[in-house]
Amino acid sequence: MSIEISGVTKRFGDFVALEDVNVSLPTGQLTALLGPSGGGKSTLLRIIAGLETPDTGTVAIEGVDATRLPPRKRNVGFVFQHYAVFKHMTVAKNVAFGLEIRKRPKVEVAERVDELLRLVHLSQFAHRLPSQLSGGQRQRMALARALAVEPTVLLLDEPFGALDAKVRKELREWLRHLHDEVPVTTVFVTHDQEEAMEVADEIVVINEGRVEQVGSPDELYDLPANDFVMSFLGEVTTLGGTQVRPHDVDVATAPRAAGAIEGTIARMLRIGFEVRLTVLTVAGEEVSVVLTRTHARGLGLEEGATVWLTPAPGATVVPAMRPLAV
Amino acid sequence: MVEPSSLVRWGLRLLALGYVFFLVAWPVALVVQHTFADGLTTLTETLTDPSVQYALTLTLQVAFWAVLINLVFGVTISLLLVRHEFPGKRVLSALIDVPLSVSPVVVGLALLLVYNGRTGWFGPSLEAAGWQVIFDVPGMVMATAFVALPLVIREVVPVLTEIGDDQEQAARSLGASGRQTFLRITLPSIKWAVVYGVVLSLARSLGEFGAVKIVSGNLTDRTQTATLVVEQKYQNFEQSTAYATSFVLAAVSVLCIVVVSLLRPKEASA
Repeated sequence: MSIEISGVTKRFGDFVALEDVNVSLPTGQLTALLGPSGGGKSTLLRIIAGLETPDTGTVAIEGVDATRLPPRKRNVGFVFQHYAVFKHMTVAKNVAFGLEIRKRPKVEVAERVDELLRLVHLSQFAHRLPSQLSGGQRQRMALARALAVEPTVLLLDEPFGALDAKVRKELREWLRHLHDEVPVTTVFVTHDQEEAMEVADEIVVINEGRVEQVGSPDELYDLPANDFVMSFLGEVTTLGGTQVRPHDVDVATAPRAAGAIEGTIARMLRIGFEVRLTVLTVAGEEVSVVLTRTHARGLGLEEGATVWLTPAPGATVVPAMRPLAV
Repeated sequence: MVEPSSLVRWGLRLLALGYVFFLVAWPVALVVQHTFADGLTTLTETLTDPSVQYALTLTLQVAFWAVLINLVFGVTISLLLVRHEFPGKRVLSALIDVPLSVSPVVVGLALLLVYNGRTGWFGPSLEAAGWQVIFDVPGMVMATAFVALPLVIREVVPVLTEIGDDQEQAARSLGASGRQTFLRITLPSIKWAVVYGVVLSLARSLGEFGAVKIVSGNLTDRTQTATLVVEQKYQNFEQSTAYATSFVLAAVSVLCIVVVSLLRPKEASA
């Protein structure tokens, strides 16, 4: 295990940012810390980097206890949400910074900077100032700068959060490719479940200062540990006191299956190939159902019609423990 | 935006120009006119007068040390105020503005109470150790430094606040020590603010009068600075010398302003 976090607690005044967090992040993988804003995931990342100190608990990087080490002795690369570029230095100087601090020979620094700028597709911008780059280019430069010192761990704090949707999607794919090329242990923070599922090998779901679940994207989606993880990873609806995904609800026009829940279609909305139903059950629940347009037409559904709902066979179902935070 | 009528615009321009002309431009121009009333004679005579020469050198020395002290403490205190949380921070921030609101004469008297060699609170022990503060250069440097104290800080603090500590954190995560971070990241980011603060402090220090007059004792050829020479010469009916010395002081200040205005466009594009 590359990063071992044991019993970490961090408070800011009365606010508990992290409470007794224990998690191990494997070597060479791309791990996402996923959770809602203010849930403590950035704090955990900053504790790994040494930019914050935990109140209690320990952090070990590659088997070395790093809890009390200053950031510069941890050999981590950190990429900030707002890039934190050195404004007064050229792109090449920014990337060279860590190497110059380490007093590497000039020739070696120049070679490494060239190599990294090629890796992040910024070779032609080497002599520009960061202010002449776009947001996506600045973030790629920041990534090259962090990679220059050959860190044991690369940490990214909402790396694409400040970029527009299109650039974000491009950079996401690009980060995945980069990680396949340079397989350094990478941890990134995100509140976007799609980003986490698309990029990460492993996801750590963090909410209200606690780790809710750790697992691969598929494990999390198919076997959520609780209703929070289930609702955070995708849309959910409540059917007969359990939580189920709207596309996992079977609709029948006659009471065929045992335990089917009766209701009437209150609203019907067609968007492209999709039909979204809001069904009011006899028990007073409001259930959302998603099916394809063809399927809906085949069943002859319309507003006001009576239907019987069951969770589809093999659907992920979690008991509803607490009110949904949507 | 509603365009004011051309009459109003011309009126406002005239008002502003007239205000500055009668308050600043005309009086300063008269100083220049008096200095050069008989060609370069007055200026050369003044500049060869040993008392004036001595006073100008002393002024430069005092201003140099005062600016240097304010540079070091100003940048340090700015960093402390912006980057650190500590009890008493608001009090410190408020205290820094005191020199702006208190009359320099009061500053001089206050320093006299603490440091004078006979009845001062701290002076006799210092004097016993061979340090004379009052009626000597150290006291004059202290008085000047006190008066110019906020200038560097008030320039640097807003810039430090604006750039935030992201870049410094990035530098530390890349392996830089505190010293390296300061020299390579923080200082280059605030350098124009520092330069501007230094120039303002220099101009202020060269022109300091009230506080220095009290702590220096105004001893000719010993503790008399240029501003004190101006006053003395004027009172001794050597008006032309007084005007010429004033001209030199004003010229240096104008030079400071020119330097700053030349630096400013660079600051905007950096």
